[in-house]
Amino acid sequence: MIRAVKIIISSLLFLLATSMQGIGQVPVRKEQLVYSIMAFNGRDYSRTFAGENADAIYLISNIDNFLGVCKTLVYFWPITGEWKTNLSVLNIPFEGTLQISGYRRELKNLKSTPYTFYNVRGEYELNWKVAKGEEAYRVWEHYQELMDAYRESVRQYQREINNYRERLNELTSRITRMRDEGKDVTGLIEKMKELKPPQEPDFPRDYIIPPSPVSKGFIVNLPPGKYSLRFITDEGELMQGSEIEMVVFDRRRAGSVGFEVIPGDKWTRPVESKPPAQVLYVNGSADLYLRPFFMDEYNDLYYEKMRKNDARGNPNLMKWVRVQQIPGARIFILKRGHELEVILEEPYFVEQLKGTSLGYRIIPYDPMGAHRGLDPSLIAFRVPIGNYDRIIDLRIEDKNGRILKNGTRQIRVIHPSRKGFLALTFAVLPFIVMALIYIQRYRVSKCSIKS
Amino acid sequence: MILRPGIKERLHATSVLTRLRIIETFLSPGLYIVMSLGLVLGHILIYYFVRGIDSSGFDFSLNSVYDFIGRSLEGAFGRTILEKIFADGPFFFAFYISFLPALIFLSINSVFHLGLEKKVGALELLIYGPVDTTACFLAFFLKDIFFSLINLGVLFLFYTITAALNNLWLGPAVLFALIPLIFLSAAVYAYGIFTSTLTDNSASAIALFAGIMIFFLIVMMGSFAIVSGYIRSLSTVFAWIVKWFSPVFYWGLVIEALEVQNWPMYIVNSIALLVLCAILMMGSHFILRARGVQS
Repeated sequence: MIRAVKIIISSLLFLLATSMQGIGQVPVRKEQLVYSIMAFNGRDYSRTFAGENADAIYLISNIDNFLGVCKTLVYFWPITGEWKTNLSVLNIPFEGTLQISGYRRELKNLKSTPYTFYNVRGEYELNWKVAKGEEAYRVWEHYQELMDAYRESVRQYQREINNYRERLNELTSRITRMRDEGKDVTGLIEKMKELKPPQEPDFPRDYIIPPSPVSKGFIVNLPPGKYSLRFITDEGELMQGSEIEMVVFDRRRAGSVGFEVIPGDKWTRPVESKPPAQVLYVNGSADLYLRPFFMDEYNDLYYEKMRKNDARGNPNLMKWVRVQQIPGARIFILKRGHELEVILEEPYFVEQLKGTSLGYRIIPYDPMGAHRGLDPSLIAFRVPIGNYDRIIDLRIEDKNGRILKNGTRQIRVIHPSRKGFLALTFAVLPFIVMALIYIQRYRVSKCSIKS
Repeated sequence: MILRPGIKERLHATSVLTRLRIIETFLSPGLYIVMSLGLVLGHILIYYFVRGIDSSGFDFSLNSVYDFIGRSLEGAFGRTILEKIFADGPFFFAFYISFLPALIFLSINSVFHLGLEKKVGALELLIYGPVDTTACFLAFFLKDIFFSLINLGVLFLFYTITAALNNLWLGPAVLFALIPLIFLSAAVYAYGIFTSTLTDNSASAIALFAGIMIFFLIVMMGSFAIVSGYIRSLSTVFAWIVKWFSPVFYWGLVIEALEVQNWPMYIVNSIALLVLCAILMMGSHFILRARGVQS
């Protein structure tokens, strides 16, 4: 008996030990040939990779995307459920030719090219530029020069500000000393007033996203379609495991207008109104702050897999993707029984309520007064919602007064009422009809029996 | 010897039989129960939708009914489908949900009765008279279409009142989404009749009909499900073969055409549903002609 208990306990301890070992295990890293992908996603560039398990590479058509071929360690990270690469341990890039063939399309041989991409400041958020070959190095150097100049001006500023502070301290102590001695300090105070602090240098505002360091890769810019991809080494041999399908897809619809809806009482939790036919139902407890944006429509599965090759998606559905803001827009709002009203984009500031209770209020931003030196918390179109508003129609125009495609929305203010219960009485109407028919039939049959 | 009637006689027989079937259905309680059930379901959906609205819009997590619906749909088909279904309010979803009980009842009822009448020899008795088998099943089909239209009319009235009471928007998109519902119902009823002609009794007819419909639904839902890799490729190939026989496939195309406002495709796919329906009815006609009505 004791022996049996001992065996059971030792077995349990063994099982516990092995399971503890399992908990401490690191994911298995496997050496694989992967395609590193820098894909344009309609808004910016997404980095992903296609390993041995990938069914295809997904790219948006008619825009520069960048592919690279390398050998690295691939592993599955169970915490986030993602496949990852370990480039810091193993990263062997390959030089060669990327062969792209498609049905009824000419075979393309791509050689790797130096490239960089960046987004310059402009009227719209999206001003992506791609520099290739020698130009890529020039752009990178220009950016480096710009940054060097900025760093130099920062150093200069530091020197000047230190000098300024030293001078200020010196004057202050002199004034104090002279005042203690009972001497006249008017001249020194005047001198101190004349002292101006140096101007802090501005960060270069040429770029929204600065150029990436120059890399070498295959620049893929293709029309929509399905292609076959393979990698040929410099020795003219096909790289094993490099054959993969490539899906190049286009947007189905473009330039529609969506709205970011920020309720006044939950300004940190905005929601998006994307389907063009959407009606915005609100309970009217707070004003709405709207931020319109352009959006494009893509296949859900293709888009998700383009952003992240191991992502999942819906192959038979299209999704709207937020692309960029609409500069200089105007929104016309029409409330029933009121005149057409124009609202413009304005900056607002979120102020915490004073006291111990939680809460805040959104007030117009005052750069010259209370909010001097602070940035606005939010820039949006404010749609006031009154207690008696029921339906508000919105229409958005661009800066040229052109009504934008799908740029209309309706806001309906819903107050749950007891009247809704009336519908339930209507719902049981078929039962009442049935009862009436049965009563009538009963009467008829009774009469016929009597007669 | 069975005499084959001409078109005129067949039309007359069909109209007489249809009238009889309609009266029969009016006098039985089933239709009223399912219509009420549909309306109550619709009422629940609207009631909780209205109570799920806060300052930023409709929020699925605000009540348990929509929390369940939202989680189920999102889990199976992704967030995108949820956004599309509830884009202009609850009516698209509510209409389809409340139409479903009557659709199931009418189709199963016809399948059952056709099978039963075949089994007990009632059809055989009829076709020795002035009626042929085609007129018999056409009467069932027309009766079902008639009651579907009534159901749709009642639902439309109900939702118009509900929309007005709750300040909800019953837009043209919802109305255009209702038209293919009639064509879809017609194809489903045609499948019901087709399965009845293939089988010998009610039970097997209902089993076959339910099996086919569930199969089409699974294929359709599978094509919308979020999957990846090998399963996706396999299901795509499988779905591609099956979809041409599926009424829900053509219905899906109509809804997709409606979404992008591609009116020619909307009409073409609606017609495709009717063509599918006609093919099934023709198939039923020839099967009954070849097999006869004796089970």
